[in-house]
Parts: sequence; C-alpha cells; structure tokens
Amino acid sequence: MDRGNQIMVQVRESHHYGTFQVHDRIEFDVRVNEFLCVCGPSGCGKTTLLDILSGLMRPTQGQVLIHGDPVNPKKQNISFVFQEPSTLPWLTVWENIAVGLRVKKRPSAEVRRVVDDIIDVVGLRGFEKHYPHQISGGMKQRVAIARAFATDADLVLMDEPFVSLDQPTRERMQREVLDIWSRRKRTIVFVTHNLEEAVFLGDRVVILSAKPARIRADIDIDLSRPRDPLSPEFMALRSRCAALLSELSTQKDTTRSETGTRRAH
Amino acid sequence: MQLRQAMKEEDGERGVTTGVTPPAAEQDPAVRGSKVWSKVRAVAFNLLSLIVVLLIWEVMAERANSPYFPAPLHILAAFVQLLQQGDILGNSLWTHINASVYRLLVGFGLGVALGVPLGLLMGLYKNLYVSMRAVIEPFRFIPPIAWIPLAIIFFSGIGRYAFLIFLGAFFPVFTATLVGVGRVEPIHRKVFQVYGAGKFYILRRVVFPTVLPDILGGMRVGLGTAWMTIVAAELTGGEPIGLGRMMVNYSELLRIPEVVVAMILIGAIGFILNEALLLAEKILFRWRWQVSL
Ligand SMILES: Nc1ncnc2c1ncn2[C@@H]1O[C@H](COP(=O)(O)OP(=O)(O)OP(=O)(O)O)[C@@H](O)[C@H]1O
Ligand SMILES: [Mg+2]
Repeated sequence: MDRGNQIMVQVRESHHYGTFQVHDRIEFDVRVNEFLCVCGPSGCGKTTLLDILSGLMRPTQGQVLIHGDPVNPKKQNISFVFQEPSTLPWLTVWENIAVGLRVKKRPSAEVRRVVDDIIDVVGLRGFEKHYPHQISGGMKQRVAIARAFATDADLVLMDEPFVSLDQPTRERMQREVLDIWSRRKRTIVFVTHNLEEAVFLGDRVVILSAKPARIRADIDIDLSRPRDPLSPEFMALRSRCAALLSELSTQKDTTRSETGTRRAH
Repeated sequence: MQLRQAMKEEDGERGVTTGVTPPAAEQDPAVRGSKVWSKVRAVAFNLLSLIVVLLIWEVMAERANSPYFPAPLHILAAFVQLLQQGDILGNSLWTHINASVYRLLVGFGLGVALGVPLGLLMGLYKNLYVSMRAVIEPFRFIPPIAWIPLAIIFFSGIGRYAFLIFLGAFFPVFTATLVGVGRVEPIHRKVFQVYGAGKFYILRRVVFPTVLPDILGGMRVGLGTAWMTIVAAELTGGEPIGLGRMMVNYSELLRIPEVVVAMILIGAIGFILNEALLLAEKILFRWRWQVSL
C-alpha cells in the first residue's frame, strides 16, 4: 500500500501567549510516514508548535487536522519526546517506558514483550529496576525516547531529543530512530537545533523565523539513505539551511546563531 | 517486533555502547554489610544513651531521696505491678492502652479519611479553597484542647474522643495534601495526556503518587498532635479508662511512680506509631530514598 503522498497532518494556525504573538500563520502539511525536521532560532516557538501538534494545547487561531479530524490525543495515536526531563520519579525505568502502553490498556503480555524489546534498542538493559534518580540525564532521555516508540504511535513528536547525549550515543540513537522508522513507517516531526542532524534525518526540513515564528523555508531533502554527511550533496544542503538560519540571526540580533559559528559568551 | 535481534546483530559492527554496565549496588555484599553495620551501630548508640540517662537519673534520685523523685527501679517496680495486678480500680494496663490506642485510631482514621479527599479536592480546584480560606484557616489555629468543653457538651463516649483526635489529625493531613497537589509537575501530566489519559487516570497515576509522600508526612505530624490530644482529653474526665485517665487517678493519690509509668508509656507508644509510619514511608517511597545504595 503506497500512502507516500497522502496528507496526514494539516497545520493552519497562529498563536498568541497573552498579547505576545509566537506563531504567525504557521501553515504546512505533513505527509503520511514522512520524517519532518523543524529548525529555528532558540525561543522561536518550536516547542509551542509541537504542543499544538499534539493537541495538548489549542492555538489561539486556526487548528491542526489529522486525517481531516481535529487533533485529539484520546482519538489519535500520538507520542511525544519532551524537551524537558519527563521521567516519572516514582516509577522504575521499566514502568516509565510502559506508561503509554498502560494508558492505552494493552494486555500485559504485550506490554512485557514490547518494553523488553525497546529497552535493548536504547541500551538500558540492566537498568530496568532503577529509579530515575539512580540513572544519568542522558539515560533518562533514552527512557523518554523508548517510551515514545513503545506505543507504536502513528505520529511521533520529538523535541530536541538528543541534546543531552554525547556524540557517539547521539549518532547511535539517530541511526536507531531511522531504523525503527524504516522498519515500521510512521510520521515523525523532529525538532532540532542541529542542522546536520536535521539534514541527516529528515525527508524535509522546515525552517522557522522568530518573533513571531513564520515559515522561512521548506526544503525537501532528496538524498538517498543511508546518508553520508561528508558527501558534497549533503554539505550543499546543510550550508543552504545554515545560510537561511544565519540570515535570520543577523536580521534579529536577539536570537542566537544556530550554526554554531557564534558561541554563547 | 524484531528490534532486539536487529540490535544484537548490529551492535558489534557499531562498536559503540550506550549502556554503561549497571551498578551492582543491590547485590554487593560489601555495600549491604556496611548498611547492616551502620544500623547495628545506631541501635548500640541509642541503647548506650538510654543507659547513661538512666544512670544519671538513678544517681540524682538517690541524692534527692524523696518519694516525689522516684528512681528508675521504682518506676520499673510500679510498671511490673501495674502489669500484673492492674490499677487501683482493677483495670489492667492493657485495658488502658487499648482504650487510648483505639480512640486514637478511630479519630485519626477519620482525620485522614476526610483530610486527604478534601485536600485533593481543594488542591485540584484551587478556586474552591481560595474562596473558602477565611472559613477553613482560622480553625487550624484553635488547639484541639480548646474544643474540650464543647466536645463534652455535644458528644459522649468514643464520639467525644474521636472528635477531639479528629481535630488534631485533620489539619496536618489536609494542609499537607493541599500543598502537595500544587507540587504536581505539568510535564508529568502531559506525559499521560499525550497518550490519551483522562482526568481520573491522571488523578490516580500522577497526582496521587506525587502527593502521597506529603500525605504520609502530614499523617506523621497529625499522629503526634492527635496522640497528645487524646491524653489531654482523657485527663478531663469521662470514662474511667485510658492512659491519661489512669495517670490522673494516680496523681490524685500522689503516687508518682505510676504517673511516670503512664508518661513513659505515652511517649513510647507515640514513638512506636511514628516509627511504623516512617517504615511505611521507606517502603512506599523507595524512589525517593536511596535505599538501594
Ligand atoms: N506558557 C507560556 N506563556 C507565555 N509565553 C510562553 C509560554 N511558553 C513559551 N512562551 C514564549 O514563547 C516563545 C516560544 O517558546 P518555545 O518554548 O516554543 O520556544 P522553542 O523554539 O521551543 O525554544 P528552544 O529552542 O529554546 O527550546 C518564547 O519566547 C517563550 O518565552
Ligand atoms: Mg523548545
């Protein structure tokens, strides 16, 4: 069954926090099984966008449709890797990963099988009985990632999920996510600061401007997978995105550069 | 799902391991040994300080040489006699202890049974609390003992004691629960909401686990106030049994050793109840206490 070009998510929204406008006519579609990366200056409203996409928050204007219906986490199968630490301190690593399956009232045999599988994928074998205060920050983030993939969601939202991981782990997790995604296709919206990561992972990269966020660019990444970050095509796309982003940060000197050329003082 | 298999196949080739080897803290005999040792040491030191205090007491009592300053051995003798023969009215020591503890448990149970749901309700619907603050809060500052005159008029028997103890237990539990609900982190709710959890599910799986440590803490404070209230309430009269009542009977006879026996029993029972709650906390909240280390 080829659903490659079918639209899954339709975003048509603007959002204000009080009088402060964060999103100005954010309008784009996400295709079924597409891997979409979203980049933008810090504080431009990326987390806000995922909150709205997940149905956890309503935009002040417009709406998000999933397969034509307004988004509703009770009706659609959505999962979310949050930017902030989201492990539940009173549950063990194992139970934390099982949370989504428990909410969805899956039979316990299935929960056991799925959680045991995914624990190996994220490299947390041996830590099942540990509580979050007994593991590192990066491990907590892997718990959150495992939780999001355990439910087999149709739409997975990931908010800078690999920021707290070291480079080798980060690369492993990137390949792991691509692996899970290629084995069982699903729609992923992935927010990242890291352009290399965006170009490496995404079928498409959306770049947002800041204050208020508008869609600055929407770039198809037609590179075959697995991708080689050192290939000229990859480098070309990466610098094209970098140029778009740095243009944004020179226009608005309040937002910091995303390309890593300028560091925090 | 063949994730695990795929993982195993590729692991060697990747040569990168994310999983650190798990610490063997729970199985390590050295760690467990040092834990046992520190417990033994704590018990030993507590016994030692008890003995030192008793020795000082003994010496002082000998010096004072007065019937109003009985030595520890006198107290022990009075205790043994009470235990074997009961009090002057023929009530056994167990009758007194049972009566007091029973009253405590009824009143305390009521306090928890009302304090927790009301605390949850007002914590979840902050507006309810905000608009009733002026009615609720002043009650907190009326000591339970101040209710005794009214309690004597309006209640009799177990109801009187239960009411007074309820007053002592309710506010610590209620306030702790109320404050605890405010500590629930929005991100924890979001984790459940995104998978489609409803309000009641979140109440059970997020709010309750978050607030439970506060509830237990409030219960320990409430237990202290409640236990002090029961003894005071028994002092004021009513039924002939209860530790407080027994104490009054002997103080009227100026029999100090029996009075001190009652005091020590009151202290010891309070201590034991408190330790029981602490133990419950340790077992329930392993995720907070680092017991595995
Ligand atoms: N609940 C809120 N109330 C008011 N303003 C908010 C709220 N949440 C976010 N904002 C503001 O909206 C803007 C966007 O926030 P958001 O968290 O979506 O940014 P972001 O792109 O995810 O940032 P980062 O890259 O640092 O994670 C920020 O300026 C922030 O101050
Ligand atoms: Mg963010």
